[in-house]
Amino acid sequence: MWLLSLRNQMPIKCLHTSLALITIALLISSCGDSQEQSSSDTEDTNLKVYRHAMDQAPTSLDPVQAANVYANFIVLNTFDTLFSYKYLARPYELKTNLAVEWPDISADGLTYTIRIKQGVHYVDDPAFANGQGREVVADDFIYSIKRHFDPASRPQGAWLWIGRIVGLDEWKQAGSDYSAEIPGLQALDDYTIQIKLKKPYPQLLFTLAMGYSALVPREAVEHYGREFAIHPVGTGPFRLISYDTSQVILERNPNFRQEPVDIKFEGYDPERHDYSGVATIDGRSPPFVDRLEINFIAEASARWSSFTKGDEVQYASIPNEQVDQVLASKRPVTLKPEFAEKFNFYAGTEAGFIFQAFNMDFPEFGYNEDPERERRNKALRCAINKAYAWEQRNESFYIGLGKVFPGIIVPVAPEFDPDLSTESITRDLAGAKKLLADNGWTAENLPPLVYGANSSVTARLMFEQFRAWMKELGYPTEKIILKRFATFGDISKAWKESRLPFVTKGWGLDFPDAENTLQLFYGPNGSPGSNDANYKNPEYDRLYELASTMLPSPERTEIYHQMNQILIDDCISITGLARTRIYLWHKNVIAIPDREIVGGFFMKYVDIADAEQPDLTGSGSR
Amino acid sequence: MEILQYSIRKLFSGIPLILGVTFISFVLMVYFGPDKTYELLGKNPTPEEIAEVRVQLGYDQPFVVRYADYLRELATLDFGNSDSTGERVDALLARTIPVSLALTAPGFVLGNVLGILLALFAAYYRSTWVDKTIMASAVIGMSISFLIVIIGFQIIFASSYGLGWFPVRGWSVNSIGDYFSYVAVPTMATVFVALGYNTRFYRSVLVEEMTRDHVRTAKAFGVPPTKLFYKNILKNSLIPIITRIVFSIPLVIISGSLLIESYFGIPGVGKITYDAIVSGDQPVLKAVVGLTAILFVLAQLLTDIMYRAVDPRITLK
Repeated sequence: MWLLSLRNQMPIKCLHTSLALITIALLISSCGDSQEQSSSDTEDTNLKVYRHAMDQAPTSLDPVQAANVYANFIVLNTFDTLFSYKYLARPYELKTNLAVEWPDISADGLTYTIRIKQGVHYVDDPAFANGQGREVVADDFIYSIKRHFDPASRPQGAWLWIGRIVGLDEWKQAGSDYSAEIPGLQALDDYTIQIKLKKPYPQLLFTLAMGYSALVPREAVEHYGREFAIHPVGTGPFRLISYDTSQVILERNPNFRQEPVDIKFEGYDPERHDYSGVATIDGRSPPFVDRLEINFIAEASARWSSFTKGDEVQYASIPNEQVDQVLASKRPVTLKPEFAEKFNFYAGTEAGFIFQAFNMDFPEFGYNEDPERERRNKALRCAINKAYAWEQRNESFYIGLGKVFPGIIVPVAPEFDPDLSTESITRDLAGAKKLLADNGWTAENLPPLVYGANSSVTARLMFEQFRAWMKELGYPTEKIILKRFATFGDISKAWKESRLPFVTKGWGLDFPDAENTLQLFYGPNGSPGSNDANYKNPEYDRLYELASTMLPSPERTEIYHQMNQILIDDCISITGLARTRIYLWHKNVIAIPDREIVGGFFMKYVDIADAEQPDLTGSGSR
Repeated sequence: MEILQYSIRKLFSGIPLILGVTFISFVLMVYFGPDKTYELLGKNPTPEEIAEVRVQLGYDQPFVVRYADYLRELATLDFGNSDSTGERVDALLARTIPVSLALTAPGFVLGNVLGILLALFAAYYRSTWVDKTIMASAVIGMSISFLIVIIGFQIIFASSYGLGWFPVRGWSVNSIGDYFSYVAVPTMATVFVALGYNTRFYRSVLVEEMTRDHVRTAKAFGVPPTKLFYKNILKNSLIPIITRIVFSIPLVIISGSLLIESYFGIPGVGKITYDAIVSGDQPVLKAVVGLTAILFVLAQLLTDIMYRAVDPRITLK
């Protein structure tokens, strides 16, 4: 009775106020999206929608900041690069994209002349006169590369071209004046680009397939200013509808050029790809879906719940805690029947690796004024390497599916040597102890080893496992010290300032060439560059410089192998493991997803099956 | 007139609070927060590039200049662009705050209204099985981790392993039906946890009021229970209740709910605040901290005015 009375008084007023507040909030929150929603109404059941899931959101959609796979997933689908990768060919192969054909390269390998396609238009946008996207011209490429050398753009890709193109570094030193010409970067006419190099750069075409080199229109960059990073205006297969921390929505670019897919040219192999139904896209022009939703779901459990729901995200990787429930076997990877019935999957080795490296700047482990101590330091590094149990690490953290390999030339690189001795990745505790004893190392005189890691639970567990191995080696527990960093930026700062004697990190290939990992130990790339180990070996550097101007050839591969062996012999790095990626996707999705190398270039080929589905009983692996 | 004069006085007296909060938080951001520089560098940076990024971020300026800029930004409500996404901070907040408000408001309201009702029940039936059951439930709600509640509710109500009634995640709100669909599970999770804290708090407030002389006297005069609870107990308990509710509002508006937004994929202000904290996105952090401080000053003012409304003995001086 008294409760009824109360309900009629104060709480009802509160409810009214609250409902009003919620309504206002809803109105405001829906106002910003109303235009976008109207053009991409999800209620339209005729639309083909592909819902992808990723574990992180990109922070910027501007090509000059396309530094990671998350950004590239959007950039490569909203912008165009001169070259791109074939959809299915593995090892990865380049193909032309905005370029009409392969470049004319001068006999000395220094001048590249590239013709671009005519009649390609940017998406319509208020940044253009009359709001209609204008045609792409060669000057757009020049402008796009220049932006990497203009600090105001906050670029992240200059390292690909610094010191390589005639006049580009000088252009930056002179103040990055866009009206000033660069001798090595010219538009010969509206559709012809000429790049002049200071010395041969065999990886140049790879860099022109990366999101960093995507073509952007100057008027849009100037129109949106810093907000160009959330207003991509490109020529890609999709255009942006909305972007926030949880989701990006793209819709088909209605003006995307008609270029039918030649599935054989793209690397189609019936034995490997038939299960996915990708043969059905042969002869048709992408994109095949009307709408692309990329959901950013950091929590693995939420990602998996959404994926298995059936009507939400259509792609996911398997959370570690679900592996035993989902996989019927690990070698080869197969799904349990209840999952195989509903999902396709793909298992392949990542184009990258994880490794640890000693920072040679630290005299306790690396270079030392005393030659005798330096010799003993090498023995110490080798002993730690021998005590490292890669197979245990693999079983504990990578469900036993990672590929452990010696050296730093990763399995996906064409120059990978499958016959290389596995001694450096085989645990030999007795040998490690003998090495310490033979070189005068005792529990008392072993130097403290500071292990830098991020603040995650997994990183902590990895450290504890490492410390246990070192304890078995005879390293006092208290001398293996964990230094934790709250954010990636913090630990990155410690690497770049050479403040950690032991570096633990991963590296994703930017392009399929072992140069991309070998440069991690090139002397001039020392801190703050990518050589966090601050390794300086004249012979290694000489070989690197020799190979850096050579086109792919058996001779160059041999040099790469020599460099790899030098690193193994010097015990600079404890390496390495390439993780196995397992992707699952709904059976009505016709695709073979891939997030390696530059990430996301497969998206434009994704199709959604109607009622009739292709043979979906199989699975794939690389 | 009295209220206007008081409000102006109170707002002026809030300036030192805002200065204190902004100064301390800015010191923490500058000297103890993440260094954004190293997230904006390419893979193989040069020392010159590091210096350039620092200039772009304004890190090369003296602390005093940067703090003065912060105060100017706060005064003009122009915080520039996010260092992460490049988006205008005001646009970012305008986009995300309504979402967080729409997300958290039902849980906030239901958590408080149900909390008061349950507390009334518990207080009325004090020391009986009703009271003990409600309090035991409250303790259970308080004891279970919010994270576990979120994951559990998501599985039970949204996933294919459970009932599958609601979306697992997302925020594609085009109609009131969509809204209820997306907000249902987050609200249930919020209410489940908040109810425990609220019920215990409100019960203790109500029980204390019930032991007062005027209540005993009213009871002796035969005042019926409904009137007793409404006029003699609830009304007199409103001061702490108002304080608790009003001071929660700035957090509801600005902070959102990181866990809810993160697990349910909802693009609210909680997630962007968390991202700004871990990535050192100072323009966003400055805006969130500054606006929260301002909202607390306003909440304090609102609380004082409401005190006066519910208790005429209180004067605004």
